[in-house]
Amino acid sequence: MDGFSGRAAIVGVGYSKLERRSPRPLAHFAREAAEAATADAGLTIDDIDGLGTIPNIAAYGNTGDLEGIDIVTVPKMSQLLGREHDIRWHVQTPGLCPDTIMAAAAAVASGACTYALVWRAVNVPKGRYSDFSLARAAGEHQFRAPYGFTMPAAWQSVALRKYMHDHGSTREDMAAFIVQNRENTQLNPKAYWHGTPLTVEDYLDAPMVADPFCLYDCDIPVDGCVAVVLASAERARDLAQPPAYITGHAQTTWPTRGGFTDSENMWDGGTAMGKKLWASAGLGPDDIDVAMLYDGFSIFLYVWLEALGFVKRGEAANYIASGATALDGELPLNTSGCSLGEGRLHGMAQIAEAVLQVTGRAGARQIEGAAHTVATVGAGSLASGGLIFSREARA
Amino acid sequence: MSSEGAPAIKPVPVPDEVTAPFWEAANRGVLAIQHCEACDYYVHPPEALCPRCQTPDLEFREVSGKARVYTHTVVRDNVTAGFAEDEPYVIGIIELIEQERLVLVANVVNVGPEDVRIGMPLRVTFERLTEDIALPQFEPDGED
Ligand SMILES: [Zn+2]
Repeated sequence: MDGFSGRAAIVGVGYSKLERRSPRPLAHFAREAAEAATADAGLTIDDIDGLGTIPNIAAYGNTGDLEGIDIVTVPKMSQLLGREHDIRWHVQTPGLCPDTIMAAAAAVASGACTYALVWRAVNVPKGRYSDFSLARAAGEHQFRAPYGFTMPAAWQSVALRKYMHDHGSTREDMAAFIVQNRENTQLNPKAYWHGTPLTVEDYLDAPMVADPFCLYDCDIPVDGCVAVVLASAERARDLAQPPAYITGHAQTTWPTRGGFTDSENMWDGGTAMGKKLWASAGLGPDDIDVAMLYDGFSIFLYVWLEALGFVKRGEAANYIASGATALDGELPLNTSGCSLGEGRLHGMAQIAEAVLQVTGRAGARQIEGAAHTVATVGAGSLASGGLIFSREARA
Repeated sequence: MSSEGAPAIKPVPVPDEVTAPFWEAANRGVLAIQHCEACDYYVHPPEALCPRCQTPDLEFREVSGKARVYTHTVVRDNVTAGFAEDEPYVIGIIELIEQERLVLVANVVNVGPEDVRIGMPLRVTFERLTEDIALPQFEPDGED
């Protein structure tokens, strides 16, 4: 394991309500999550002296970025919390939340700040989620937008088509995961799809978005915010909840060339990241009790199960269909429903549930005795990251 | 946000200092792909430095235009101006025969969406978009 393993922990988790097209400004969701996470840790807002976020808009295309409506930046959060004069450390990272969490973990472990709040606030934009409305396609857009390759769902659907072709999997195989995931979601009262079960037939008959992706291969956009509080391992011991020690971490610099045109790149990048992740913790796939793998689109489950070495290349679809990833299986997967069931929170659902499981706080879906959990975020290539959480500081 | 009432025009590529030779060739009906002489490697989309050996001395080379379907999707629900009328339409990830995993995005045309198959042989064709821009597209290559 590396020298960072076990030196910082997530000590509080907080959710705003998850809604769709809410009249409330996104800033209010962010403040709600920040207050909930701080209270969960047994702290007050005045204890928070570090802030980190990913301030990107949630949508692809030409949508707005109004502060407090579409985004909630560090300066806005410091105002919302009345901490403009008191934040000793902050960071705004592009990309996805593992980068931000690792930066904040390093900050609390080093003493640059004492308690760091990390959040991701996302909204359902006005109009359509993916609306490339520019008449001119420059930069990376010039090789895909003129062809109508303008939706993240389409970018990822080509990977599922190739997987089904190369490994002989079917939409019925994917239905098994989607239905299992929706069952998990029924045990998560916070989730957007809580109270809405889904059958195999619902999945197979759903409207196609970008064939072979139907509506339910895509996560559900929400207005909402998830926040977590980080502290050094020393401070974490004395707070309200058991700490979720960060015992493994990995980020990837793997380029996403051509905007996901070569889907094999996701496996290449994810595999490279997986090796770093296990090495940093001194753990391997067999040590993990519960896995929270990124599921902004369904195909990512196959990418991560294989890239992290839980199964061999090409075996993920069969593995899921066998029941191995159900709550009573050998590797319970995405126990809260994550992005597909809880809501599109860009990976914070994975982080939050990995923390709740390893601290024994996952309620009706708790996997008894979970000692090590893993969360991955991203598509395997650029901006992806993974974290391993452990019940004890030394894995 | 979409501008209501505006005519539905597909997004037009804007060539830049790295990509201009690709679009200049396409405008002449030629498919030219960036190539690194130093390590004998094709690169697409074009980059300022070779991703393998990092040389900035990259040139564009005319290629055969022969290709296969690497994978594809059939889009049925896209609100981007200029495409809603085309639905369902096929976006292909097109693997050129010159190099393994040398892929580009294009529509697979002159074939029904349900008849497109992974591995299907293709050849390049060009769709004129404006006076200055022609898009490389791909159609089934019956010769194979
Ligand atoms: Zn080279």
